[in-house]
Amino acid sequence: MPQSYGFYLAIILVYGAVDAMACLGLNLEFGVAGISNFGYIIFQSVGAYVAAVLSMPNAKTSNGGFQQYIFGWHLPWPFPWIGAALAGGLLAIPFVFLVGKRLRGDFAAVGLLVSAVLLNLLVTNYVPLFNGAAGISLVPSPFQNYWNPQGLGYQFAYGAVAVILTIGVYFLVKRITESPYGRSLRAMRDNDIVADSLGKDLRKQRTSILIVGGMIAGLSGAILVGFITLWAPGAWGYAETIVLFAAIIIGGAGNHKGAILGAILVPVGFEEITRYLPPVGNPELVPALEWVAIGLLIVLFLWFRPNGILPERRRILSGNKNAPVPVPTKSDDESDALIMIGDLQKLNFRELLRLGEPVNDNRVILSTNALTKTFNTVTVVSDVSIAIHQGRLTGMIGPNGAGKSTTLAMLAGTLKPSSGQIFYEGEDITSMPSDKRALAGLVRTFQLASEFKKLTVLENLVCAIPKQSGDTFLGSVRGKRYWGAEDRDNIERAKEVLEGFGLTQYADAYAGGLSGGQRRLVEIMRALLTEPKVLLLDEPMAGVHPNLAHKIGDQLTKLCEGGMTIVMVEHELSIMDAFCDPVIVLAEGQVLAQGTMSELRQKEEVVEAYLVG
Amino acid sequence: MSSLGFGLITAAVLAIATVGFTMQFAVTNVLNLAYGSIMINSAFVSYYVNEHGVSAWVALLGGVITGAVASWFLNRFVYTPFQRRNLAPITVVIVSLGIDLIGTFGLQAIVGGGYVSFSQSQGHEYRFAGLILSGLQLIILGICAVVLVGVHGLLKYTRLGKAMRATSANRNLARNSGVKTQFIISTTWLISGALCGLAGTVFAMNAGVFEATSAQQYIVLLLAAMFLGGPGEPYGAMFGAITIGLATEISAAYVNPQYKLVIAFLVLLGMLTFRPFGLFGSEKTN
Repeated sequence: MPQSYGFYLAIILVYGAVDAMACLGLNLEFGVAGISNFGYIIFQSVGAYVAAVLSMPNAKTSNGGFQQYIFGWHLPWPFPWIGAALAGGLLAIPFVFLVGKRLRGDFAAVGLLVSAVLLNLLVTNYVPLFNGAAGISLVPSPFQNYWNPQGLGYQFAYGAVAVILTIGVYFLVKRITESPYGRSLRAMRDNDIVADSLGKDLRKQRTSILIVGGMIAGLSGAILVGFITLWAPGAWGYAETIVLFAAIIIGGAGNHKGAILGAILVPVGFEEITRYLPPVGNPELVPALEWVAIGLLIVLFLWFRPNGILPERRRILSGNKNAPVPVPTKSDDESDALIMIGDLQKLNFRELLRLGEPVNDNRVILSTNALTKTFNTVTVVSDVSIAIHQGRLTGMIGPNGAGKSTTLAMLAGTLKPSSGQIFYEGEDITSMPSDKRALAGLVRTFQLASEFKKLTVLENLVCAIPKQSGDTFLGSVRGKRYWGAEDRDNIERAKEVLEGFGLTQYADAYAGGLSGGQRRLVEIMRALLTEPKVLLLDEPMAGVHPNLAHKIGDQLTKLCEGGMTIVMVEHELSIMDAFCDPVIVLAEGQVLAQGTMSELRQKEEVVEAYLVG
Repeated sequence: MSSLGFGLITAAVLAIATVGFTMQFAVTNVLNLAYGSIMINSAFVSYYVNEHGVSAWVALLGGVITGAVASWFLNRFVYTPFQRRNLAPITVVIVSLGIDLIGTFGLQAIVGGGYVSFSQSQGHEYRFAGLILSGLQLIILGICAVVLVGVHGLLKYTRLGKAMRATSANRNLARNSGVKTQFIISTTWLISGALCGLAGTVFAMNAGVFEATSAQQYIVLLLAAMFLGGPGEPYGAMFGAITIGLATEISAAYVNPQYKLVIAFLVLLGMLTFRPFGLFGSEKTN
């Protein structure tokens, strides 16, 4: 009896390691980078098939020749496993266009789901490839000629290798997640359009993560197939992905320990529990109820404990590990009135933001030529030609629907113009993607709240800093020794800005919990930390207490004196009066007038269209 | 030519289903992946009514009511509460996958894994213009025509339909303009749910034999048809369903019928890649 327990333990070890590894890969994709890969199981499956095929001998000489093989290469370990990981990574490449830049996350997810359904269907029906529904069997286990795979020692050794590899994967995904690159991934997860506007290359980030996640899945498939020695379409129906999603949701998305816990509770737990259930009812009853339970767990957890058993950890960057986290009040007016921006005066923005020497040469830095945007048949912006001068705080006003935000979005690259050109620093940037524009110094903010909710205030700021050596995939893999010192500097810089804006006490609070005015400030600080040359602000004062608004206005003026160029869309005329020169008036998608506010007040058509209402 | 006949019926059933599916997306922005499970549950309710000696065409009403009530319930007590929490849109899609498992396998746990079929004759065979259609199939075509004309009339000529279109275009603006959006959304889920139940039952009748998991792959066709015409566009859904329905069945005549879903899959991926807002749609303002 003890020996059979031993076998049982070894089996659980292997299954647990395989499921945990798969969950870690999926957690990196879904929990960290926000890619809802509903087809994840096909990455594990391709790994299993490739490992099987690479390790199989020639059909004519062995296994009675009853299976159809390709290659018959009979490669020794570890080549089949390496091949499996590579195959999992390669399989990611055709899906890059789905998770790329523009497609909604849920649309990409159903695309992947349907791909999983279809690939399963194809492999089931196209027998010559992987032997159809029957699948590949008698897959050689590693070293089976030297060590009996049925022996207890072998099985434990196999389990140990699987566990060691899983631990390795755990440290890899952790290393990526806790790096500046991981911060960018989580920013993309929380709000991809905003991450893009700060200069993050969404397609590149998603591609890298889909490839790494695919490699991890592929390796997990190889480990599994080397142990169970068979692999068939029945093992990887699209619903198996849902099981892994259930594991991650229950364990705690974004927390890698949670992913391991989820793997033990859900795929392993369900598999094992059914061994002990007496056969009841019709033969489909128990498996059917298992699926019902998985579905129920997903729905109930998402409702009652959406962050899982082990929620994602809040990262404390300020160094103040023991400080209690202030709970920001949500009632806007009250807390906004309390924000003190006293120290702002002392703040040396030029040094902090690496602005360089001020050059107020008043040249045209940003301009448009006959810019037009049409949605369906409605023209929202029509033939707008404007010139923005360097070092000026240009205001943009106009009634609702005048096309202000749309113009701003086209300047920043969030929207593609239907026709017309945009010039920045003398170059035509009309077709330049938004993240490249941000890196070139043309940065926007958003009208709606756009903080990264599940990043702390400090993380929101630090992740905006450009050219971080830890903010690339390879940089993140090289580890903290490579990027740590630089990151500490960046954190200090962000802390100084934070102090200047009077929000130090919220440094380690989640940005999503701040009041409306505070979130506005976070957004402005974050935009400043991208070291912009031209800042495009979309109603930065909306919902901000008037006192605070004027303090912000003062600082914006100072920034312009320091050489920055700012374009600000705003409704509040007192702000325009106090700070903006010149002001461009848009109405019904066209430029109605421009000049100083006092000039504009003299013009009848402007007063009629906007100033009176 | 027989594949054209099959294609017509597949297209008709798919058109009913896709119009309901796309209407749900239009008013609530939810990709309801549990749609197939409600279809098959509705079919089983019709089947049990039919088993009690009621004519299949009367039993059909049972399926329609089941679909309507279940969909309304799902939106009212699951999707809406989740959406109120302001979570990422993907959360509701994951919830819908969970509901799909509960619906499909809950049914399987109750009815077992065996195949069943309606007790009803296929009717006379009719031949015209080279097509061979059974009486049953002709009735399905008729139902489809009535439904599509009905939906067109609803959207075009009634206050309810206008309110639905307004809610779909911009929910907040519609509410501020005095549309009772909550009521409109509920009504839309009732109507689309009825279409879902109807589609499920005629799908099962047309299939001849069916079981609890028969509609599991139907989501591929639904998604392909919806994205071809543009998500949330009822007329696009009609066009998409007819195209996909005919294309899958006609392609089945030339390649292995096992692969007939492939064309739907390729259409879906192509649309998602190049025109996620549909063949005739265009990108929307926020």
